[in-house]
Amino acid sequence: MAAPSGPRPGWSRRAQYGLFFSFIAAIAGLAIGLVLLAFSIAAPESFKSMKGLALDATAPITEGLHAVGATVGGLASGAGDYWDAARQNGDLRRERDFMREQLITARAIRQENAQLKAALKLREETPTAVAAGRLVGSSFQSPRRFAILSAGTDDGVRIGMPVRARQGLIGRVVDAGSFASRILLISDRASIVPARLLRTGQAVIAQGRGDGSIEVKPLEVGRNPFKPGDLIITSGTGGLYPPLVPIARVSRLDGDNAIALPFAEPGAVSFAIAQQPFEPEAMAPLTEKDRELP
Amino acid sequence: MVRSALATKRKIGKGPVPGAEIVPAASVIVAILLSTLPIVAQTGWFPDFGFLILIAWRLLRGDVWPSWWAAPLGLLNDLIGGYPIGFSVSVWTASMLALDLLDRRTIWRDYWIEWALASLLILFHEAAQWQVSAWMSAPVPFSFMFAPILISIAAFPVAAWAVGRLDLWRLGRQ
Repeated sequence: MAAPSGPRPGWSRRAQYGLFFSFIAAIAGLAIGLVLLAFSIAAPESFKSMKGLALDATAPITEGLHAVGATVGGLASGAGDYWDAARQNGDLRRERDFMREQLITARAIRQENAQLKAALKLREETPTAVAAGRLVGSSFQSPRRFAILSAGTDDGVRIGMPVRARQGLIGRVVDAGSFASRILLISDRASIVPARLLRTGQAVIAQGRGDGSIEVKPLEVGRNPFKPGDLIITSGTGGLYPPLVPIARVSRLDGDNAIALPFAEPGAVSFAIAQQPFEPEAMAPLTEKDRELP
Repeated sequence: MVRSALATKRKIGKGPVPGAEIVPAASVIVAILLSTLPIVAQTGWFPDFGFLILIAWRLLRGDVWPSWWAAPLGLLNDLIGGYPIGFSVSVWTASMLALDLLDRRTIWRDYWIEWALASLLILFHEAAQWQVSAWMSAPVPFSFMFAPILISIAAFPVAAWAVGRLDLWRLGRQ
């Protein structure tokens, strides 16, 4: 097929001008786009109200479709549970007995811990849950890892709050609409969580890799401290994420670092909870008084 | 005579559907809204549906919309898809301008050339996305982008087919 004869619309002066102005408008559009992009990169907070509105506008669609999907999925997996139920039952019973022993030990340790803390007069505020919601969507078209939480500023969610599930840490809020918010997942490359190796207590840093796994780096130089199967938990350093929240389990070693898989898989968790920042004072933006100090 | 008149399904006097001029832009908006599907994925391997439909329309017809329409459509994609604001505005408008300039140079067009052009634009789109992520302190290795690039390139013929059917319908040529 020969190519179309191009955009020249014949001899009409009016049509030619129209085409020319549309070309100019497109160049202007490109320039505006580049300026907006520069703002987004340099000051990510600049469009937060616009992003919040867009979240609110699309959240009902996502949540409605999510409900349909969950119902269908529930029927399928509900039927699957009956398959091989006797063996599963036995396994679960054994697991329960084992967990019961563990639970008694944990209770004793907790009591002892409380006594020791009281003796040290250590005051520690437990972070309060602000709102619970479902993870209903994600950025499945881009290399960044975001998820949509079905709770927003009406429920008390604010930008910057940490989000966790029962299984472990999910991420933190980056955009908030009235009834939906966008979460930066811990598997995103830009997410850095101060963490700790549970086995040795060594301080490490957990940074996302962008593909669902997490890279764990030790803060001190030396031998690779990780072993496959090691548990990584938050340390509470930095004041945003509360301490002792499970993050990930080490799956393999990679040079000086280790690759770990998050405990809370965003696609599988049923509820996610937004919490107050662990130490809000540490997170508060600098006031004018602080700025004056050198 | 009667038999041959009955055999053809062509309807005489059937013209374009009402609002045929905005059908392409409306279909791009629908494709943008597909990113609100409740998929919670650990990898971002899905193609950008809006971009695929946009370039499929533009490669099918040169006069499908004035080029600058790509800017507001891109803004919608940024807002709904959660991209940094301005990313799709720039990339989509730049793609339209590139195709406008290319239309003046092309002598021959066939399906393979269109697919090759679409692949180049998809490569540009994903590379821009990768670079912008790197600037926004999320530098992933470029090898992470191979899978989404290949998936998008493989998905383009589907988008082109859908757009072709839609074009026949809106012009009343079915």
